[in-house]
Amino acid sequence: MVKTFHPRTLEEALKIRKDEKAIPLAGGTDLMVRFRSWAGTQPDFPWPVMFINHLSEIRYIDIQPKEIRIGAGATLSEVEQCSEVPKVLRTAVSQMAAPALRNLGTVAGNICNASPAGDTISVLYALNARVELTSLHGARQISIMEFISGPGRKDLGDDEIMTAVMIPIESFTHTLYRKVGTRKANALSKLSFCGLAKIKAGRIDDIRLSFGAVGPTVVRSVETEKKLIGLSIEKLKELYSEIRPDYVAMVQPIDDQRSTAVYRKQVSLNLLDQYIESLTMES
Amino acid sequence: MKKRISDSIRRVDAFDKAGGITKYISDMDFEDLQYGRLVRALRSHARIKSIKSPKLPDGYYFITKDDIPTGGKNEIQQISNDWPVFVKDEVLFYGETVGMLVGPDRQKILDLEDAISIEYEELEEAFSIDEGLALKSGKIYGEDNCYGDYHLNKGDVKKGFAEAVTVFEEEINTGYQEHVYMEPQGLVGYYENGKYVIIASSQCPFYIKKAISPVLNTDQDNIVIKQATTGGAFGGKEHFPDIIAAPLAVAVDVIRKPIQVVFDRKEDLSFTAKRHPSRGIFRTGLDAKGNIVAMDVDVTINAGAYMSCSNIVLQRAIFSINSVYDIANVHVHGRSVATNAFPSDAFRGFGAPQGLFLAEMHMSHIARNLGISPVEYKRRYFMKKGDTTITNGIMHDEVKLEEMLEKVYAAGSIEEKLAEYTPGSGRGIGISFYQHGAGFTGNGEQEIIKAKLKMLKHGDGNVEILLSNVEMGQGLQTTFPKIAAQVLEIPIEMISCDNPDTSKVPNSGPTVASRSLMVVGKLVERASRELKERWDEDEEVEVLVNYIHPEGCEWDQATLQGDAYPTYGWGVCAIEVEVDPATAEVETKGIWTAHDVGVAIDEMIVHGQVNGGVIQALGYGSLEKLDYKDGKFQQNTLADYIIPTSMDFPMMSSQLIENPYENGPFGAKGLGELVFDGGASAFADAVEYAIGKKVYKIPVTPEYIMEVKNRD
Amino acid sequence: MTEIAFVLNNKKISVEAEGATRLLDILREDLGLTAVKEGCGEGECGACSVLKDGLLVNSCMVPIGTVAGCSIETLEGLRNSDEGRCIIDAFADSGAVQCGFCTPGMVMASIALLRVNAHPTIDEIKVGLSGNLCRCTGYDMIIKGVQLASERGEGIW
Repeated sequence: MVKTFHPRTLEEALKIRKDEKAIPLAGGTDLMVRFRSWAGTQPDFPWPVMFINHLSEIRYIDIQPKEIRIGAGATLSEVEQCSEVPKVLRTAVSQMAAPALRNLGTVAGNICNASPAGDTISVLYALNARVELTSLHGARQISIMEFISGPGRKDLGDDEIMTAVMIPIESFTHTLYRKVGTRKANALSKLSFCGLAKIKAGRIDDIRLSFGAVGPTVVRSVETEKKLIGLSIEKLKELYSEIRPDYVAMVQPIDDQRSTAVYRKQVSLNLLDQYIESLTMES
Repeated sequence: MKKRISDSIRRVDAFDKAGGITKYISDMDFEDLQYGRLVRALRSHARIKSIKSPKLPDGYYFITKDDIPTGGKNEIQQISNDWPVFVKDEVLFYGETVGMLVGPDRQKILDLEDAISIEYEELEEAFSIDEGLALKSGKIYGEDNCYGDYHLNKGDVKKGFAEAVTVFEEEINTGYQEHVYMEPQGLVGYYENGKYVIIASSQCPFYIKKAISPVLNTDQDNIVIKQATTGGAFGGKEHFPDIIAAPLAVAVDVIRKPIQVVFDRKEDLSFTAKRHPSRGIFRTGLDAKGNIVAMDVDVTINAGAYMSCSNIVLQRAIFSINSVYDIANVHVHGRSVATNAFPSDAFRGFGAPQGLFLAEMHMSHIARNLGISPVEYKRRYFMKKGDTTITNGIMHDEVKLEEMLEKVYAAGSIEEKLAEYTPGSGRGIGISFYQHGAGFTGNGEQEIIKAKLKMLKHGDGNVEILLSNVEMGQGLQTTFPKIAAQVLEIPIEMISCDNPDTSKVPNSGPTVASRSLMVVGKLVERASRELKERWDEDEEVEVLVNYIHPEGCEWDQATLQGDAYPTYGWGVCAIEVEVDPATAEVETKGIWTAHDVGVAIDEMIVHGQVNGGVIQALGYGSLEKLDYKDGKFQQNTLADYIIPTSMDFPMMSSQLIENPYENGPFGAKGLGELVFDGGASAFADAVEYAIGKKVYKIPVTPEYIMEVKNRD
Repeated sequence: MTEIAFVLNNKKISVEAEGATRLLDILREDLGLTAVKEGCGEGECGACSVLKDGLLVNSCMVPIGTVAGCSIETLEGLRNSDEGRCIIDAFADSGAVQCGFCTPGMVMASIALLRVNAHPTIDEIKVGLSGNLCRCTGYDMIIKGVQLASERGEGIW
């Protein structure tokens, strides 16, 4: 029998988390499937479970001057419908699963799954998102890139709960999110690509490039991006062929039941090429 | 004025189904219901050395072959009887039934399942057609692992090749396909008044009765099969329910309580039969003008570890290998190959979709090699009335393909688009032609099925149709009464046609092979006419009619020669696609179809069949990748086995051509499978056009397109 | 086991259950609401669709523990309402029903859509139904059914 908890407040939830090591369940769209068992029997959770979706302390989307805070209980539908949330994230969310699932699932849950194929994750990497992890001792913030360390692996203490996701408010001149899914709706990603850039007066002020489902974590290299930042568009055209091999080396997908390594790699690079070309064309 | 039979009416079952009132097997209540779960051998080829089961709590049972009643056989009586109820000694495929756990609490059953351990001696495995033919895992069937090995000869293929100036050879393949009926497999069995009763989500209640009778060592009269409203089947509930019913019947014999076996989706995807994968190797001789002078085809299908209906699937596949074309000199070699794969079985089209895909692609490839448009090339060979079929029978139908093609062209502005898009431009249009022999192959109806049907007029004037064909979504509970209502000139509300119960209805045969409406519907029409004549004879009138075989339709099953089918449905399907240059994802921009189904008994129902069949075929052709690796289906959730959603394809244009068939009710022909037969090849043909390169297999996934584009 | 109170089809009820139990099982097995179907148990097919606080959800993914204090609507509660009758009739008249196993879920998804968008475009309907798999119809007639319900349901939605 799975032990379940229904805390009334966040503080109570944090206590339960510490004492019982219960796993927080917000939407349940991943956990209920991953541990599903035979019809009429309970999900086969290997640990106690704590429901947190109803906690008002985490059920919000807060627009602040410099960042947007998405509470861990905010559903994907709420994020999709919130016009202040960056369009690129809303686009990614709108392509996740189907409406019924988006009414349950959360961005925080998607992050805590720490799947390299998680649909919001490649976008959140590019957006320099941070996550807030709270325990009875207080809250800490780390970047999403630090939080996720491998498939299903994350920097979450066994007394901590993810309570919010923070996205800096910034503007970009060129944004692209492209999910290549198994079909046109209700699909898991074969791969995804996110490109964000700020181009001013023919120069790259900022650029972020991330790739989902092509490695153990989402692939993004701040180092390589640094090579691009500051380049004029003319220079970009010239130097791109020297920088591209970085991504050829970084994008290391696998074969699985959804796609092939060869396809994932080639399409990821095609999308990168397409995005870089879009930067050069419009300037 | 009397209404046209084709004018649509509201389906009789629509309201209760849409309101969630209709009960499916898993919705039914039973007192003291027990749950059954199949325990499976998780090896593809192995000898079972021992089975250790834990001590069972009271009320729990582990039913095995030792529980088969005295004199009962450990074999399921299908077309063949090679498939055992429980593994005999040697496991021949991954997931074969070893036993069944039964009890009142499902969690306890799962715990018991975990505690069962089976010790195996591993044996060599053969999964592919070639491994089967090479006897890699030894002899699974006969001396050569061929359940069926047939040759067809039309004309003089040797002479034809002698006239050839070029010979074009190629290999084309089709993959597995899973049915994904939305309601998974499910049965409930119990014992009542000295009889074994099975309630089944199935297509063929009388098949189940026959299948389990030797297992129970009891007369078929002691077995009652009650049809439950069936949530989709597509061939997947033709024979497969037998495989569950047999161990269930043994359990019922021991336990004598109601037992439910309902697969969950993962079990259903992992452990039920699929469509046969196929391979066609073509050698085609062309003369100096590019005309086909000879065609030699080797067709093999992967039948898996037991025979089931594979030979009949193979027959339909090879009878379809010239599609709608009259080719003068042909030799076909067809084999259904035994392997250690999960036994393949019936799936909408029953071999024809495979044969037709191979044929259509081959014809397109010849045309493209010659630099001729595939449509123009194919039109040269359109079968006409009086032509010789591939089994040396006569085409009795008026073939209206030209008229249908014209309609499709007009609806889709195809001519203009073909002029605009150049091959390799990323946009393309593919067009397929297809036929489907309606009804059983060969002499099945007159020699094996011998359908009977009963109609009753009750004292209150209400009429009951008693037959064994089931409503599984295709609309029979509306169309059968509609035929009767039209003849009897009474409101359809006065006519009932309920889910069959084998103790009450005569055997009008299984719900398969696009036969129900055409063959059994004709019996309804005939019985209705007789009933109308005898209407005032008495308060209650009973009419019984038997199948009558159409005259001039001769068949020799031993040689596979003659009229393989009494008539054919015909189809033309055009698909427009756009291929994304970066991702090779395909956007289907348009779908235009025309079908000759004789006369539509209900246009809305026919259009519903067309729409569903074409989309299912487009899934087969584009999305539904099912890999078989180390004996296991790799895509075993609906997240990984991808069927079309509402967003994957555009709404389609569907036109019908009237071409009445005299032996069908009001001129109707079978159509449920026909509408599946052309989608995959039209899609593949369109992609070929768009990318300017040939494709040789389905599904045509973006991964495969990328591979083809990278090909030199 | 704990007692979980919620509103089901506008009536307050409470059930004794383990918190992790799927809402789907509670509805079907404990409460006999079999319009809610199990097609996959993994949130892919939508046959088990219900409304939770007015929003479409897959009841196979909802632990009963998260339902405490919520309002759940199933087709049983809606089929005799103006909304339910409108959509059921429109489905029947459009040929939207074949085997029927997906249909209750489709009806729920349609109601959820029309409540927030009384006059959806074809593309919006397709999105609204995109989590509900149907293997019989190819979807066209279901889409037409939703359009018909939209046309006929002036004032209802």
